[in-house]
Amino acid sequence: MTGLHQLTVPEAFAGTIAALLLLVQLALFRSVVLSELITLYAVQSLFVSAICLDVGLAGGELDLILLAALTFVFKVIVLPIYMRGLVRGVSTRVEIPSKVNVLLSLLIAAALVGIGCLTASQLPLKTGAFLPTADLATMLSIVFIGFLVAILRPNAFAQVIAFLTLENGVFFGAVTLAPGLPFVLGILILFDVLVAVVVFAVLVRILVALRSSAATTQLQELVG
Amino acid sequence: MTLVVLMIAIPAVLTIISILVPSRIAGPLTALGGLCTAACIIAADLAAAAGAPAPDALSAVFLLPVAIIYGTVGLYTQWFVNTESPSQNAERYRREFLALTNAFACSEIVVPLLTNMGGLWVGLETTTILSALLIRLQGTAAALEAAWKYILIASCGLALGLVAVVLLYVSGIGPLGDHHVPQWAGYVSVAARLNPDAVRLAFIFALVGFGTKMGLAPMHAWLPDAHGAGPTPTSAMLSGALLSDALYAILRFAAIANIAVGHGMTHILFFIVGLTALFMAAFFLLQQRDIKRMLAYSSIEHMGVVASGLAFGAPLAVMGALLHAINHAASKSLAFFAAGRLTERYGTHEIAGIRGGVATLPVSGTLFALAGLSLAGLPPFGIFRSEIMILAGGFRTGAWALAVVVTLLLAVAFAGLLRWVNATSAGDRSATVPHGERFGVATFAMLLGFVVVLGLGLVVPPQLTQLLERAMAIVGQTS
Repeated sequence: MTGLHQLTVPEAFAGTIAALLLLVQLALFRSVVLSELITLYAVQSLFVSAICLDVGLAGGELDLILLAALTFVFKVIVLPIYMRGLVRGVSTRVEIPSKVNVLLSLLIAAALVGIGCLTASQLPLKTGAFLPTADLATMLSIVFIGFLVAILRPNAFAQVIAFLTLENGVFFGAVTLAPGLPFVLGILILFDVLVAVVVFAVLVRILVALRSSAATTQLQELVG
Repeated sequence: MTLVVLMIAIPAVLTIISILVPSRIAGPLTALGGLCTAACIIAADLAAAAGAPAPDALSAVFLLPVAIIYGTVGLYTQWFVNTESPSQNAERYRREFLALTNAFACSEIVVPLLTNMGGLWVGLETTTILSALLIRLQGTAAALEAAWKYILIASCGLALGLVAVVLLYVSGIGPLGDHHVPQWAGYVSVAARLNPDAVRLAFIFALVGFGTKMGLAPMHAWLPDAHGAGPTPTSAMLSGALLSDALYAILRFAAIANIAVGHGMTHILFFIVGLTALFMAAFFLLQQRDIKRMLAYSSIEHMGVVASGLAFGAPLAVMGALLHAINHAASKSLAFFAAGRLTERYGTHEIAGIRGGVATLPVSGTLFALAGLSLAGLPPFGIFRSEIMILAGGFRTGAWALAVVVTLLLAVAFAGLLRWVNATSAGDRSATVPHGERFGVATFAMLLGFVVVLGLGLVVPPQLTQLLERAMAIVGQTS
């Protein structure tokens, strides 16, 4: 792994962004208002597009620069606006289960970050990435925490945000660890996620229309 | 190549036709298109069995479940849309249903044809989106709940599959370069030089991620809901073909891992997920109250059987596992079709409300009972043959304890299935439920399915054996 004294400006930038991405992911637990969750997602997407641009500029990869621009347009602008429109007129508070409060959630999340770091440290990756071990640890931690948010927040909107941040984590890993992953594939993945969000939105709309709330605690008819 | 283009183009064109023209025209065209697509797939499979390079044998094997189901679902759908469409906006429902069914079939055909590991992920995510829309179409609260759980769990699971793709790409940067195309053949050609730790981790993520779509326990939570609450033809497509598509993705990863790091890891992991699935399904089968959820748990059981076969690693067991995926598709689609007829006639999904199925619906009731016996693993049906191959392979490898555990769990599942099949099929017909049925497209579709279920039990065509042997060589699961 590259020593700290050897870091170039793009490498230091990438490392800082990775840390910020993780912080935003942890902040999801603190937020109990939907609009805040959407803002956190937009901020995280901004960091992801910034790192995509950073890697693209450092390697002179035009396709990554274009992917950064597309990520910015769709994930930082279009999706958050679309989601803000969806939550209009819906109760914006996200219930926090009493058994697993914010503090306990953060402790579990910290343990998951530990697992992510431990897993990454066992993998001596030789890639073109700036900080392969840290990048892998960040990707795994964001993915694990995304799962935790989806499990611990019984609200349809919060679960969609959890899925999207989870996808941001994988996207970050793809860009930093495998910058050569073909551009067309990156576009397809982005397109797929957008379509998935539209389908999520359709289902949330029906849920809200049927039950006047986006709380998924109401979805307990099917058991056994 | 022409056959591949045709098998994708037919359902794709039918999707557009279903949107544009009335359902009374699009419906019969879908039935015809399903049969033509099945014929194309069988022709392509015969070529693959003879050694044609594309699609390769593994792709060809996993196209067969789609051929069996799409070939019959088009016919069955004729009856379904005319009988089960809601009274309000019936034509809109029919058009949406036909368009989504054709699009879903198209995506299910594309997945086994993909050998680009990233493309494979995109294909599977597309199947999730389309099938979630189909489940939601029922419009009930249960359907909404099922669709929500399905898309959320499957999409999050598939995100782990994407992590697997990234890790595999990273493992190949050394031997294949910074900007390689993530083609399966490329990884296999340099498998011995891939980063073994990254390959191990990639396989674990692939098994958990794509295993979620395959319904492997403990990631199976969405499956009974989605299969139980969705429209019957969709349940058949989900159960028979989609689970096989996810298995195909896992096997592509396993093939690379087997060369890069040896069979040991894949065998152990397949055992863990296989036995967990079998255990969960066997005991949940005993306490089911809903006929479609019972069939859904049976799907989890059979995916557990397939995983156990892959874990044993004996050539006979691996061949049995691949054959089992095909047999399961045939038997399960037949069971869902017949169950759909019973639930429509009795007006309930509750097992307690369905009695005397054979007396009430002589064709559908009898076929449901026969499909149930097939799923339970009784001769002379195909599933009996493939289960015996898997167990014999297991005993032959010397993994006696594991083979005995699998046998015992199969016995529990057998008891559960037989109990409910007997309860719904036997007895006198109810005085309050009309009896008798006309021979129509739905019964024809079911009889067609039954010919496959029985045929694969009586004889495995030499071309299919050849195809399975070639597919086994690709997977390299045998130790």
